[in-house]
Amino acid sequence: MKAVWTFALARLALVVLLGLILGLFIGPPWLGVVIAVGLYLAWQLRNLYLLERWLRLRSQLDPPTIGGIWGDIVAEIVRLYRRKQYHKQRLAQLFRELRRSTAALPDGVIVLGGQYEIVWFNRRAANLLGLKRPGDVGLRIDNLIRSPEFIRYLHSSDYAAPLVMRPPADTESYLALQIVPYGAGQSLLLARDVTEQRRLEAMRKDFVANASHELRTPLTVISGYLDTLAEDPEIDPVWRSPIRDMRAQAQRMNAIIADLLELSRLEANDAEAPQAPIDVPAMLERLARDALARAERPAEVRLELDARAGLYGDAREIESAFTNLVDNAIKYTPRTGRIELRWRVDAAGAHFAVADTGIGIPSQHLPRLTERFYRVDAGRSRGLGGSGLGLAIVKHALQRHGGRLTVESAEGKGSTFTAHFPPARVVAAITVDGGGDRR
Amino acid sequence: METADLMHHTSRRFNEDLEKVRNQVLQMGGFVEQQLHRAIGALVEGDSRLGEVVATEDYRVNAMEVAIDEECSRILALRAPAAGDLRVIVAIIKTITDLERIGDEVEKIGYIGSRLATMERPADKYREVKHLGRHVEQMVHDALDAFARMDARAALLTAQEDRMVDEEYEAIQRQCMTFMMEDPRAIRRALELMWVVRALERIGDHAKNIGEYVIYMVHGKDIRHTALEDVARQIDAAPGVRQ
Repeated sequence: MKAVWTFALARLALVVLLGLILGLFIGPPWLGVVIAVGLYLAWQLRNLYLLERWLRLRSQLDPPTIGGIWGDIVAEIVRLYRRKQYHKQRLAQLFRELRRSTAALPDGVIVLGGQYEIVWFNRRAANLLGLKRPGDVGLRIDNLIRSPEFIRYLHSSDYAAPLVMRPPADTESYLALQIVPYGAGQSLLLARDVTEQRRLEAMRKDFVANASHELRTPLTVISGYLDTLAEDPEIDPVWRSPIRDMRAQAQRMNAIIADLLELSRLEANDAEAPQAPIDVPAMLERLARDALARAERPAEVRLELDARAGLYGDAREIESAFTNLVDNAIKYTPRTGRIELRWRVDAAGAHFAVADTGIGIPSQHLPRLTERFYRVDAGRSRGLGGSGLGLAIVKHALQRHGGRLTVESAEGKGSTFTAHFPPARVVAAITVDGGGDRR
Repeated sequence: METADLMHHTSRRFNEDLEKVRNQVLQMGGFVEQQLHRAIGALVEGDSRLGEVVATEDYRVNAMEVAIDEECSRILALRAPAAGDLRVIVAIIKTITDLERIGDEVEKIGYIGSRLATMERPADKYREVKHLGRHVEQMVHDALDAFARMDARAALLTAQEDRMVDEEYEAIQRQCMTFMMEDPRAIRRALELMWVVRALERIGDHAKNIGEYVIYMVHGKDIRHTALEDVARQIDAAPGVRQ
């Protein structure tokens, strides 16, 4: 037992004893004891009162100075209170720092609840999206950002890529919005200002388009004179071979510029392609005929039409994409090889596959094939007069039609390039004219 | 918060219905905003194709109006809302009518925009019209924001903004008259432009109406045909509306 308790008990015993002695002097002994215990009780009540008053008005009063067991209790309470105060302060400080750091984030952050209602947002988000504090907490985000494309993005569950859009009531800047789901139905909405990025990108595209356009005129003059020189019978035979080479290279430069212009045209137009019906089977028959007519073609070129279906889209772009795929196959397949073109439709949409028995592509190159000017190896395509832009054009043209390109290849055995189109773009049975006189 | 007060109701289903129809209104508003933005863009940039797209997409606004209208009738018939809830429904029914009219005016701007694209463009490249257009766009945006936030004060500011739009409208009107007097060949274009400016001014009026419905919805006061200064005083005096 602690010393204070022994002391308290001793004090009680002493009080009772004193009461008994007092009782012996003034009357019946029990009266003395009752008076003594009564006084003791009054003293304890006073202490209890002091303690209660202090607890109630703790902020204004100093702790009472009471002796005995009460003093110990007061000391213990003071100690507990100090410790709590300390932890509270530490937590508050931590929270303040956390809030300050999220507020200082360069990106806007909004915490969304299960119904897309705003739970919390930082200052940057408020600036970027025009949110007001604190009134907007609890409102649904799609009530404030009402742009149809955002609503579509929010309700789609595909948040892989951010959505680039103009912020509400601002016509100068661009925002990239990305949703990151977490926990039970909650999500984060991140907003980033990408105006500068977009401007640089636009500048780059403009530059490429302008430069290609400007290069075209001088090149036309050069190839024109080269053509004349090549036909000239009086020219020294020593010059025949150099002129032939120059002509070939001028043609190649022309092809590169044409491809660059085609690519920047596709890029400038990021909207979905139009919905005009295209007679794909007729187009493929024509492509196959053209391939057969070429001098350096592989021995066997086959076309398999498993469907009479067509596509909705831009005929020129689709033809350019398909031509590029067929051209590649011809270029990289030896004379003894075989090329197979196949057009089929299934539940997943329409597919145009070009399979060849050519040299194939090492697998580490596959992911980067559609980058512009990407070369599997330096000599390979240049020697064959490619522009290095063919597959980039294919990719962009397909993207405009909601499609995508897949490549399978085994080195030394051959490659299969397949263009996939979504079912929404497929015309079940094409009945337009022969496809020969578009526009 | 006033939103919570207006939405406070014993029936949870009813609350959900009301919330859903409110969301639909704002979704429709978002689409109308986009249409307006594109129509002005088509006119200013001389993009005839975009103008046609805007004009042909107006049917979607109409379809949304019909759907919301039906939903409102259903709520009225099934739930017989009272007091604040009834005001919300009434305000919604009126708001969608104005949104639908904005859609019609936008359709008009789209048509005229695609027609003007084929004509010679004036030296100022429609700068004034663009400015007026952005102003009106901002008004529609603010009115819908006020609707989403149930913010009577912002709604009032939007309604007051309409005066500025009217002044701008008159300025452009005078300018067009000057153009016509200076150069008779510009008359056709100036007349077409007058239609656009007129449509924009009407859209400003509709945005003002929406702002007024928001005030009605929050405070239960009909402020149409009341001087806006009086309304401001009343809103300030209204108890317990500020957060």
